[in-house]
Amino acid sequence: MDRWLLITSTVLAIVGSVGGMVSVHHGHRSRWTVAWMAGVLVCQIAVLALRGQHRNVCPLADRGEILVFLAWALTLFYLLVGPTYRISLLGVFTAPVVAVFQLVALVPGVLEADPHPMTGGNPWHEMHSATSVLAYGALALASVAGVMFLVLDRQLKEHHLHSGLFRRLPPVRGLLVSLERLLWLGGGLLTLGVLAGFLMPRALEGPDHAKVIGHTLAALVVWAGYALLLAVKTVRGLTGRQLALLAVGWFILSLGVFAFV
Amino acid sequence: MELLCLGLNHRTAPVEVRERFAVGNKKLGVAACELSAMSGVSEGLVISTCNRTEFYLVAANAREACGRLETHLTEKIQLDAGVAAHFYRKEKTEAARHLCRVVSGLDSMLLGETEIFGQVKQSYQAALEAGATAGVLNRLFQRAFGVGKKVRTETSIQHGSTSVGNVAVDLAEKIFGHLKDSEVMILGAGEMSRITAQSLVSRGARSIFVANRSYDRAVELAAEMGGSAVRFDAWQKVLERVDVVISSTGCPFPIVHRADVEQARHARKFRPLFFIDIAVPRDIDPAVGEIDEVYLYDIDTLEQLANQARGSRQLQIDECERIIDAELAKFNLQGSPDRRPPAE
Repeated sequence: MDRWLLITSTVLAIVGSVGGMVSVHHGHRSRWTVAWMAGVLVCQIAVLALRGQHRNVCPLADRGEILVFLAWALTLFYLLVGPTYRISLLGVFTAPVVAVFQLVALVPGVLEADPHPMTGGNPWHEMHSATSVLAYGALALASVAGVMFLVLDRQLKEHHLHSGLFRRLPPVRGLLVSLERLLWLGGGLLTLGVLAGFLMPRALEGPDHAKVIGHTLAALVVWAGYALLLAVKTVRGLTGRQLALLAVGWFILSLGVFAFV
Repeated sequence: MELLCLGLNHRTAPVEVRERFAVGNKKLGVAACELSAMSGVSEGLVISTCNRTEFYLVAANAREACGRLETHLTEKIQLDAGVAAHFYRKEKTEAARHLCRVVSGLDSMLLGETEIFGQVKQSYQAALEAGATAGVLNRLFQRAFGVGKKVRTETSIQHGSTSVGNVAVDLAEKIFGHLKDSEVMILGAGEMSRITAQSLVSRGARSIFVANRSYDRAVELAAEMGGSAVRFDAWQKVLERVDVVISSTGCPFPIVHRADVEQARHARKFRPLFFIDIAVPRDIDPAVGEIDEVYLYDIDTLEQLANQARGSRQLQIDECERIIDAELAKFNLQGSPDRRPPAE
């Protein structure tokens, strides 16, 4: 059941992406993207609720669940930020990322077909997992805003101003403000996640200990990267291009790091 | 009953002829009543803008009504012998098609402009309130407004800016969004800078700084625009705070160099900066445009963008005409002005 719901959610995200792209190509507003994404969110919630029931804990026990949770956080932040701040096309750029995360989760073996109930759950562990994934949702959306900025920046620099995409993209300043706010939100949640991680019980020796050390180090490096990025932006300032490239690059890098740690 | 349109516009008459037929907004209703009061005429309406004056009337016999209208105008305006040649006359379906083209901006000097829609609506409203319109003109104008909206929604006839000033202002909005948080500096108090800056102010730009070699002229222009004058040797300092720079000095060599902007970057915290260089020879070194957060547009680029927009609007004409024809065909099926049975 949860798999079918995930497939439905992914199909909705793909339909939203394609519909949005076609609208933009023809220079129209992509007015249905919000509706498609709301449908995506409902299906994601259903998937996570079912998995949570099976697990008896927050469903973040395998890579598939982490990807679905991440896609859920990304969709949630888009639905909160996009329509509220009228950032047009944010949904069109977000929907494909959600679809990709969920397609990877649907690859056989990524999402455990028969989730086993977890025992010995710890509230700090659950808080660490949940806030970290939420942080990644916000940081993913920041990356999406960053990509939108890079596209618009290139069009403005090269004076290619007659495409439907250019007409529909929000202004440079609006994108940069959203990008920075999302980085702050993601950074804040990541800080909570890291703090909760330090408070959760961990293995002191054996193979699990090495894994925990690797995970902790990776988390600290990722957190320090974002902290440095925000500090430099606040104190010295960064060009929009630098900020967007660093937000996108660091997000992809940190996602890659956690895929292997 | 037959529909007739008699009019002149920017293509058929020079301004010295058009101005003689211009009707003020407040007199549109009275003018429409004068038309409908003519013998054999049941409805009348006058459209008057800076580029056209058109008389629409509904009469039992269009040819006779046209003669009476010409006599009416001759008496009122004292026409010279040659003036009649500036008028065009359209009857029945041709008149309806012409009105749809006018409302859609296809007959405007600036193809696809939107102002004409409001102007025709105002003329119709005045005639309606004065009681000069009835069934035929009411239905015709309502249909024409519907067609105009459809043409503008379903085609890109009004997309893009077609003048250098508007292209610059649209770009500023694309970069900064609402201009109410944006500050503008003008380098050189030329006419083009003044017009462009005024457009920015009209769209909400927060403050204007004017730097000119003649400080008195800078003070004069700043006062005119509600801004502040800056001594020409102090513009680099102002660069640290502004968002848009419009440059149009008569200087034979560049005055804004890459080093000037590099120097201001830290103080600006690398915020986006939009340079509009409308001077020839150019005032801004092209190398300035290579800086990450700088968007540099010179007069040729702006002109090219305006031309592209004009070109893409031209390409939409056939599609617009197709929509108009299709809508008029529906109008005919429901009883066009020329197919309506006589009222009496």
